Amino acid sequence: MNPSMLTTDQRDALQELTNIAMGQAGASLATLLDEFVDLSVPRIRIVEVADLPAALAELVGKNNLVSAARQSFYGHLRGEAIVIFGEPGCQALADLMGFEGDLGEQGETELLLDVANVLCGACLGGMMEQIRNFTDTGGPAELSFSMPSLMARQVTAGQLIDSKRVQWSHALLLEVNFTIKNRDFIAHLTMLMPEEGIDKIRAIVDEFLEAF
Amino acid sequence: MNAPPLFNLAETVVKWVDVGIFVLNKNFEVQLWNNFMAHHSGRLAEEVVGKSLFEAFPDLPKPWFTKKVNSVFLLNNFAFISWEHRPYLFRFAHNRPITGGADHMYQNCMLLPLKAEHGKAEAVCVVVFDATDTAIAQNLLKEALETISEISNRDGLTGIYNRRYLENRLSSEFDRARRYGGTFSMILFDLDHFKKVNDTYGHLAGDKVLVEITRRVKEKLRSSDVIGRYGGEEFVLILPQTPLDGAHQFGERLRQMIAAEPVIFNDISIPVTISMGATEYRADMPGYAALTHQSDVALYVSKGAGRNRMTCYAPELEAADAKP
Amino acid sequence: MSLPILVVDDSAMARKMLIKSLPPEWDVEISQAGNGKEAMEAYRAGKAAVMFLDLTMPEMDGFQVLEALRQEDLNSMVIVVSADIQPVAQERAMAMGAIAFVKKPVSPDMLNSVLKQYGVI
Repeated sequence: MNPSMLTTDQRDALQELTNIAMGQAGASLATLLDEFVDLSVPRIRIVEVADLPAALAELVGKNNLVSAARQSFYGHLRGEAIVIFGEPGCQALADLMGFEGDLGEQGETELLLDVANVLCGACLGGMMEQIRNFTDTGGPAELSFSMPSLMARQVTAGQLIDSKRVQWSHALLLEVNFTIKNRDFIAHLTMLMPEEGIDKIRAIVDEFLEAF
Repeated sequence: MNAPPLFNLAETVVKWVDVGIFVLNKNFEVQLWNNFMAHHSGRLAEEVVGKSLFEAFPDLPKPWFTKKVNSVFLLNNFAFISWEHRPYLFRFAHNRPITGGADHMYQNCMLLPLKAEHGKAEAVCVVVFDATDTAIAQNLLKEALETISEISNRDGLTGIYNRRYLENRLSSEFDRARRYGGTFSMILFDLDHFKKVNDTYGHLAGDKVLVEITRRVKEKLRSSDVIGRYGGEEFVLILPQTPLDGAHQFGERLRQMIAAEPVIFNDISIPVTISMGATEYRADMPGYAALTHQSDVALYVSKGAGRNRMTCYAPELEAADAKP
Repeated sequence: MSLPILVVDDSAMARKMLIKSLPPEWDVEISQAGNGKEAMEAYRAGKAAVMFLDLTMPEMDGFQVLEALRQEDLNSMVIVVSADIQPVAQERAMAMGAIAFVKKPVSPDMLNSVLKQYGVI
């Protein structure tokens, strides 16, 4: 099967799976920041790696300056999660987390990584929980996570990934975003999985579809 | 039938593995303390287990670490601490006292929620990794990169910034002013008749003049001001947060100071004067190149009017086409 | 006569999950809507004595549907079914006229107890 293809049903099921998972991530973020978080409808695309920078730029807004953190996950699924923060929100974050005064660059980075970690952990954790509950594909549905690290500060989204250095040909791109009204805060959570991951997700989703 | 095990595998591994492992309950009382932690802290498990972590280690950054651990309990999610943001959680000596060049162990930490049957975290396991080797390597690399970039941004003779750096800096100051508001000024200045200095006294004298003028100007700068050599005998000053009239006063002082005192080279007194052109950032400029252009126009007006003077840019100067 | 119920969710899969989780003995006539606009049309056509409503949808989201229903005298029992599990989302939905809030993923047990609690079955 062409790796770039997901049937309408598969896409729909994956979207719902993501939607439920991000609900948990949103709730975690809301707890962390003590603010109501607006959740977007998840967007799902399979993109050729060469088109990845453009795809990210389209999701996030071409000219907006962003900061981004990445985290690897491995185990039942393998890939990288990238959390992209809109630039004004980075400043609002310290405020939201109850830090007073100037945090300095180190402190700000630490904060971004904490929030990225919470979003990735909750969202992927939520996904795993559903996979455990509704399918029995390929072993225990558990994940490990690497330490998050900063990718870039204040760049445009198109500059985040150098597609020449990505070893895959296709990637599954799942994107959800979290916004806080009146705070100018936006965080995009994207999950990228290589071809083998796409096959696995497809198998999981098929099993999901059969269950209902 | 298998013989009963001689020891508990998991327990033994946790005890001896070469990473720090300890467990805290919700009251921050230590529940488990492995050998790595014991040997590096000098506090045995028997002394620490059952005690409050902060009582046993009063030097820990309590408010911050409390917040971190509580977020693991609250969100039921793991968390990380990187040496890049905080060099260490516990101040341990490291294992490279001879070759390390660091006086403490750099640490990465991972905080894991230990979930009970009902799925809620009841305890937090902290894993402490010795990241000293990575940190040392990375710090060396960072220093090397900084040196390289420093060298590539400097003018060899005077040690001040070169044209490459000045272009980048102008561009970033321009972007900053555009995004956050505020203003800044740019001054371009030339040593008058510098070719004649070289021809008359030789290149060594010329070099001495360049170095001496640089030194005198640098003495008058604020820490945020930037000086660079644009090429030949042409210099640039970037004055952040400075409107044009401020740049004018400042430039005028520099001009007078330089003209007042000749440069001495091998007992020869060489009189030096400079011609200056200044302009300031304006929100309607299309790009930073407008600044270089305008200060250039102003500088040529200074030269055309007899040198040893300061001119501030005004649009009329363009129309007059003052270039000689 | 069967009770007209409406299942509103942008995901076909989510609608299917919900419909499969309804009590089998419940005598209902099920309609579906893929977004808020379709939901309002079905509601006006009398197909929604009970409405199962998702919150995050494109076009017109669940909160907007609740708002529109309120302006049209809310002649429907709305049960919000959402992945957005923030307490504030729940409070807001209830304040806007929903009678119950069910977390996704739905399960038959959960749905059954909510329907019983509000006397729908």
